[in-house]
Parts: sequence; C-alpha cells; structure tokens
Amino acid sequence: MDDLHMDALVIGGGIAGMQSALDLGDQGFQVALVERDPSIGGRMITLSKVFPTLDCCSCITTPKMSAVAHHPNIHLYTYCEIQSVQEHGAGFDVSILQKPRYVDISKCTGCRECEYECPITVPSPFDRNLGAYRAIRVPFSTAVPQKAVLDPEYCLWCGKCEQKCPVEAIDFSQQPETFTIEADSIIMATGFDLTPVSTKKEYGAGKLHNVIDPLMMERFLAPTGPYGRVLRPGDGKEPGSIAYVQCAGSRDETLGITYCSRVCCMYAIKQAMLLNGALPMADITIYYMDIRTFGKGYEQFYQNAKAMGVNFVRGKVASIREDADQNPILKVEMTDTGEIVEQTFDLVVLSQGIVPASHPTVSLPLGSDGFISVPAPDSAPCVTGRPGIFVTGTAAGPMDIVDSIVSASAAAAEASAYIRENGSRLEVEKEALYA
Amino acid sequence: MTTQTLSRAELLKQLRTTHAESVKRAQELLKEQKHMQQELCAFFREKPRTVPEAAQATGIPADKVLWFVAAMKKYGIVAEAGMCGDYPLYKKVEEN
Repeated sequence: MDDLHMDALVIGGGIAGMQSALDLGDQGFQVALVERDPSIGGRMITLSKVFPTLDCCSCITTPKMSAVAHHPNIHLYTYCEIQSVQEHGAGFDVSILQKPRYVDISKCTGCRECEYECPITVPSPFDRNLGAYRAIRVPFSTAVPQKAVLDPEYCLWCGKCEQKCPVEAIDFSQQPETFTIEADSIIMATGFDLTPVSTKKEYGAGKLHNVIDPLMMERFLAPTGPYGRVLRPGDGKEPGSIAYVQCAGSRDETLGITYCSRVCCMYAIKQAMLLNGALPMADITIYYMDIRTFGKGYEQFYQNAKAMGVNFVRGKVASIREDADQNPILKVEMTDTGEIVEQTFDLVVLSQGIVPASHPTVSLPLGSDGFISVPAPDSAPCVTGRPGIFVTGTAAGPMDIVDSIVSASAAAAEASAYIRENGSRLEVEKEALYA
Repeated sequence: MTTQTLSRAELLKQLRTTHAESVKRAQELLKEQKHMQQELCAFFREKPRTVPEAAQATGIPADKVLWFVAAMKKYGIVAEAGMCGDYPLYKKVEEN
C-alpha cells in the first residue's frame, strides 16, 4: 500500500468520528477515517432508540455511515489499528496496521453465503455476546462496508467458505499490512467503555445471569436484537419485573470513579419507557440517588415516564444475590427513611458508568478521570494538550449523543482552522507542482 | 488448475499449522456445538418446547441453551412457535 497524504485523520468511526469526518470532507479537506472494527457505526449503531425523541438509532446512524462511505473526500480504513504517531513538522506521520479480513473487499458483495456455510458459531460482540454469528460473517445487517470478515481465532481453515463464495472473494493469502498516512491534523474519536462489572463484587461481579448491563438491554430493545424480543439471558423468560440500579459504577469512590456519567439517568428512563411498550404488564422500578435530567426536553421525558407508571424509588442498592430460580434479589437502603428492604425481580439492569475506551498509540495527556485532557474546557473543549490533535465525543468525557455530535462539529472546526493556519501539505505540494 | 488447487490446499494446511492452537480450540467447540445442535433439534422436532424444558431434557445449562437457540433461530434452524406462560416456545424448522 502506498503512503498517503491527508489533511486530517480521524481515529474512530462512531457517531462523533463520522460527524467530524463529514464536516471536514464537506469543507473540501481530504480525510482519512480509521476504525479498528470491520464496520463503522460505533456504539450508536447498536442502540435501540435515542432520548428524548425516541427516534430510531439505526435510522439516524445508517445514513451517516453511508454518507461517510460514499463521500468523495473521505477515505475509509476499517479493521485497522494505529501503531504509532510521529510528529512531522506541524503534522503527523501515522503508522497503521491493516488486519487481514481474508476477504477481497473489492469482490465481496456481502451476500453472506460464506456465513451460512461456515460450520462454527461464535459469540457476537455486536450483541454483547448474547447473540451469535459465524467465524466468517458480515458483522451486522447494516454494516459499512457490507463485506465479510473472517475471525482467525475461531476459523478451522476448512475452506468451505471459499468453495461457496460465488465471486471468489475469499483470500487466505492475506497478511497484515502496515502503511503510513501523513496527516496535517488528528481527531481522536475513540469513544467509551462501560465500567467493568467485574469490579462490582456486591452486584455479582458479572456472574449473575439475570443481572445485565445497559448495552445488553439496548440490544434486546432493538429490532435486530439477539432474541427478537426482551428475554432474560439466564433461561429465556419474558421478565415480569425489571429493576434499574442507578450509579452502578459512577459516583463511586470505591471504584475510583467519582464523576457522574451523565447519560445513565436518561438511558434508564428511555429503556423503561420502551420496556413499557414491549412488555405492558411488566413492573419497572428505577432505584436512584438523584435523577439528573439536564438537557432540552429531558425533564419532561422523566415526567412522562412517571406518568406511564415507571416506579422511581430513592434508594441505594447495597447488594444483589440470586435465589434458586436465578431471580435477582436486591437489598436496598431507602435513602429517605433509612429502612433496609429486599425485593426480588426477574431481571436487573445495572446502569453502569462510562470510562474511556482504550486509546490507540497516541501519546496525549490524560485527566485524572482517564479521559483525554483538554486544558481549556470552557473555551476550547476539543483542543488537547498536543498541537494539531483534537478530541471529540466520549473520548473527552461522558456525554450523550446530542453533545457528541456538537462536539464532533466543534473538533472539525478546530482542525479546519489548524490546517488552514499551518498550510495543508496537500495544498503546498499542489502549489509547488504548478509553480 | 491442478497446481492452483494444490497451492490452495497447501495454503490452508499452512494456516492450520500456523494457527494450530486456535484450530484445536475451534475443533473442540465445533464438536460440542454439533452435539448440542443434534440434541436440541431432536427435542424441538417432537413438539414446540421452552428453553428450560430443553435444558432439563438435555442437561445443558439454560443460558447456554438460550444462546444456541438464538443462534439457530438466526440461521433458520429453529423458529418461535407461540408462548407457554412467560416462555417462548421453539420448534425445529423442517428442511424442504
């Protein structure tokens, strides 16, 4: 692969990274969008609906994914990892590893014949491992690019997929390949992870089948979810009672996560409302310390949920254990009265906090919370401590989708100003060529 | 043509050698999955059943049965067939 010159390189193909790339691409800049997964879309493509409008997430994300893929100024590199970032004048030389898909994407039509032929079934991280796909597969139905990828960790190298492929796209000779992109600026859009549940021993440390994380519930509520309906993962029962445990991994000094994750109240309320529609007979209880509904229309959303019959209880959940039928039992301290009560549910959702996703090999100052530090958060919230590198979305700190999109456009504006100020290397080269 | 076929076979053989450890794990997983699919399909062929019923009959943990049933449903091997109380029923999809 030849070395490439770009005005900007965006790391991460979630909603924030895509928005930054689109904004820069629309201004005429040449943009490389690098994504570590085989498809762009990030977390947002896995979600059911957005709050407070309850619009379909896929309906918002998919057109953006498509726009990125078809934009004449955006060069998409999926299934790639950043290996190193070296300063080069006012810009950067970024070394990137292209992992082998074992599929020639110029031939693959995404027909999934290989996937149906593959004999081995493996957990699908897209469905939080509650669903499955095959060792060779198209990652999900709206993946961009809509191309198959083979997982060497599970492949038997039996060659059945190759025999079945109607366009001879399977290529077992592919090797990891390293290439360099010279970029004038970089935007970090590396996203978030949930607080690891294994650290919360009093909540079962991830070992209780019917205590799940909120992204699992998102998949249950999405039309493309693993079961096609809401079932509890322990035994496939349709839950009649569901509890949400707020601040399960945020505002928690024992975990070293003292900040509020900002989105948990709203996604819990949203999921409760959606559950009310999916399971009209189910009792839904949200145990909270405070409800924080700070955004436009959010307080009304909360009031609507209460009016719909969602039960909000002010109390701190001390522990969760399960009975013989795997029903979670919550021990709750009612904050207002000091009373300790125990309540059994069919399913419990831990409203886990947001922590930064593992950053690629880009040396950047981090804040005490582990997110990328921004020295002037009030006046330049997307500018990092390293000139030419900008940050957007949850890589900078917990934020919701609306704020991520705003932040993405802000980061694109900062990058645009930086490129213009320092002179695009592409423009300098063009000028030299025609001088 | 023969040379091309041979080189393909050699390539696969080489990949199996390079990935020997993961191939071994995948082979064991495949064996387990084949066995599980046979047992579950035979059970769901008789009449529509729930996940706990299948777990009890086969001795496979219910969460594992559900995961595999979800996979079989995705690939058209089983289908939902109504509800029994709070549990969906699943049946084997007969091949034409």
